[in-house]
Amino acid sequence: MAGIRIAGLSKVYDGQGSDMAAVNHLDLDIGDNEFVTLLGPSGCGKTTTLRLIAGYLKPDAGTIHVGDRLLSSENGVVPPEKRGMGMVFQNYAVWPHKTVFENVVFGLKLRRIPPATARDRVEKTLALVNLAGLADRFPNELSGGQQQRVALARSLVVEPEILLLDEPLSNLDAKLRERMRTELKQLQRRTGITFVYVTHDQAEALALSDHIAVIHGGRLQQFGTPHDVYCRPANKTVADFMGLVNVLSAKVAGDGVMLDNGERLSVAVPSGCADGDEVDLTVRPENVTLLPASHPEGALGKVVDQTFLGNIHEYQVTLDRGPSLRVQTHPAQRLSVGDSVRVVIDATACSAFRRV
Amino acid sequence: MRLANAFRLKPWVMGGAILAVVVLIVLPVASLLIGSVWTADGPTLGEFERALSGRLYVQALLNSLMLGGWTALFSVLIGVPLAWAVSRTNVPGKRLFQITANLSYLSPPFLTAIAFVYLFSPNSGIANQFMREVLGAPALTFNVFSMTGLVIVTVIHTFPFVFLLASSALQSVDASYEEAAQILGAGKFRTALTITAPLVAPAILSGTLLAFVNAIALFGSQAIIGLPARIFTLPTRLYSLFNYPPQYALASALSLIFVAITIAALYLQRAFLARRSYVTLGGKGSRPQLVDLGAARWVLLVFCMLTFVVAIVLPYATLIAVSFSKSWGLGFWHNLTFANYRFILFDYDVTQRAITNSLLLATSAALIAVLIGAVIGWIDIRTKLPGRKLLDYAALIPLGLPGIVMAVAILQFWLKVPIALYGTLTILLLAYVGRYLPLGVRAADTSLRQVDPSLEESAAILGAGWGHIMREITLPLIRPGLFAGWLLVFVPAIQELSASILLFSSSSMTLAVAVYNLYETGHTEPVAALAMINVAIIGVAILIAGKLGGGRMGRRVSASTERPAGVAA
Repeated sequence: MAGIRIAGLSKVYDGQGSDMAAVNHLDLDIGDNEFVTLLGPSGCGKTTTLRLIAGYLKPDAGTIHVGDRLLSSENGVVPPEKRGMGMVFQNYAVWPHKTVFENVVFGLKLRRIPPATARDRVEKTLALVNLAGLADRFPNELSGGQQQRVALARSLVVEPEILLLDEPLSNLDAKLRERMRTELKQLQRRTGITFVYVTHDQAEALALSDHIAVIHGGRLQQFGTPHDVYCRPANKTVADFMGLVNVLSAKVAGDGVMLDNGERLSVAVPSGCADGDEVDLTVRPENVTLLPASHPEGALGKVVDQTFLGNIHEYQVTLDRGPSLRVQTHPAQRLSVGDSVRVVIDATACSAFRRV
Repeated sequence: MRLANAFRLKPWVMGGAILAVVVLIVLPVASLLIGSVWTADGPTLGEFERALSGRLYVQALLNSLMLGGWTALFSVLIGVPLAWAVSRTNVPGKRLFQITANLSYLSPPFLTAIAFVYLFSPNSGIANQFMREVLGAPALTFNVFSMTGLVIVTVIHTFPFVFLLASSALQSVDASYEEAAQILGAGKFRTALTITAPLVAPAILSGTLLAFVNAIALFGSQAIIGLPARIFTLPTRLYSLFNYPPQYALASALSLIFVAITIAALYLQRAFLARRSYVTLGGKGSRPQLVDLGAARWVLLVFCMLTFVVAIVLPYATLIAVSFSKSWGLGFWHNLTFANYRFILFDYDVTQRAITNSLLLATSAALIAVLIGAVIGWIDIRTKLPGRKLLDYAALIPLGLPGIVMAVAILQFWLKVPIALYGTLTILLLAYVGRYLPLGVRAADTSLRQVDPSLEESAAILGAGWGHIMREITLPLIRPGLFAGWLLVFVPAIQELSASILLFSSSSMTLAVAVYNLYETGHTEPVAALAMINVAIIGVAILIAGKLGGGRMGRRVSASTERPAGVAA
């Protein structure tokens, strides 16, 4: 079993000059064979968490278990070389003075695998990551994407139960990133290795993960499936981080909320809120529909700006006696600045949070 | 846990390097400090009082400052125009400019001094004879045994410091800074004055201070030129304090005053250099447009050629000529001989011993300094060891110690320790390693910073222990840097005179000391032969090192830094 259990994990950096972010009382249960993403903006503590899992850092408090084995606590850590994990670094860390083969066989030599078997396994792994035939190249003779796959092969060849990946796609161009994303996902499904993947790219996290841990300010904000995290954010921070969002101010009214322009929406009221309490309503641009002004439903508004993005059309709409909204529609819907429209918000896709 | 943990390599290696810094640097310097304030009668400041009030010592101090000042000034006057010409103009023969600076820097200063004595000693100097007897113009003679002579000989060795720093700064200023000023309406001259000059000024000042520090520390030229002129400087005055009976306490006090001057200058230098950082920020910016000098570029070329002739051609032609002469003087073609070389190589029993000793010392000192440097650099960059910054500073202390002061400190310490090292090769080795350790640390530091920690971490997570990582990953990656560091130590070590002069014995004779002694005893012609052998050894060593260091390995790693291969990320 290679589930990872993190409990009460804290790491504080005192003094300046450290570019590492703190981690504050983190609890996380990563299941076996799962693809889990640690997602957050830079400086949120996600890389620190990953390095704590790898054993490069000693926690100030809390524990990390893999299966039943205690790996890290404030009293000490099992060093990285004794953890049997794999790690892929943001800059790949492919050794420039070794050939592709020498890079990949490194871990097998340490495990005293007989040369013939080792060669066999290296070749199989290189084929797995589509690098067959490049074994004798030096890293500087490879493209960024190929180096990336060398790093992957090097980690995979030793068949770790857990593979840690630190923003492995961030140095690749957009096209390649897209392709590697698919390859990574397939690889994880095929090998059944537990992947812990760090990224600040929410689209990447949504596409890849079984579960996403959204981290902000060193704290875990939400841990759930991509669908949960996107559609049912636990708080405003998560909602804000997962893609574009309109934040509207509203007041609790009965079993729903009322916007500033008087419109009522039946949204789940945050627990502990009474009538008249101020709340923030998060509305994603794609959950708003624009209808002709003649339509009977919806609030009246006016288009104040429009941007054509190819696959979508984005509009800025100001409601009469109310807030301004960012709206995304099908590209076929063509409106001009100044047009009057009816605005319909899909209340079932909105979340309300108590104003802090 | 298991056997693997019974012997842990890492603490032993790190502990060894720390111990080396303590024994090689900290304890000798501490002995120097204690020796200056602690005499047989107890603690006293009397020695400092003597050093600062005695006419002899104050005069030496003033002479040193004067020498340093003039040398620094002329280093700028020569170094800056040459640097500007190379990096910013269309002057022809840029290669010659570089060669001039490199050879001037590499050539042993005491050999230049000896060559200038052959040329310009008041009576027997051949240039002076020529002026007097052939041209009949005694007004054109020049007495090298003067402050002017000393400054000229010293500048030849120090102007490259200004040249190298200034030209690298001029080349790294992003052209867009200057172009931005020009598009706003500033003319070429105004741009140079308001944009370029302030950007490179810290580098030039920094080079000037390095020239100053190096100038006042040179024992060889100050002894060869200064002593006959009765111009005592700090190194030569220190040296005379070790005539029987040696005055250790006074020497320590005088040494510390010397160190204070050097450190003050180096402190300023670092402060200036720190401000230089914005020059290199341009990164991938465009190259500056070269100024078309028109006819004026020939003037600059002539200036450079003149420097080349005075700094390189004249001294070495003279040394070669003297080395093949029966008796130095006019009428060179009538008294050609190989006798000097025969005498030096076969009859003079000191030579072979000196060559062996110097090669042995320089090779091993460079190796040890680089290896210790690598460990100290690693501790500083990769560990969180408390006091690692202190260790780094301690290892850099010798930068502030002129060679002869290092020797005084080493003597002070090892004479108090019940291990008889005086007069052995070992004490010379200790002095060399200590003296050049900063170069080793710097070299290791620079290369280690280019190796991203993830390269080591990725080996660790695959199961490699510390020793394995060092052997398989770190050392191979920094090998080109360490090799460059080795050469950086080897070249000055094989011509080391300032510290050796106080520490040698007849059995631990080194090349430079042999040349100096032979010169002192008046063997005019054989000295030149030995000097040429000395130069030949340095040249061959540099060639071999260049061949080895510029091999496949070095190129491959430097090439890979251009891609995001993990290096320099």
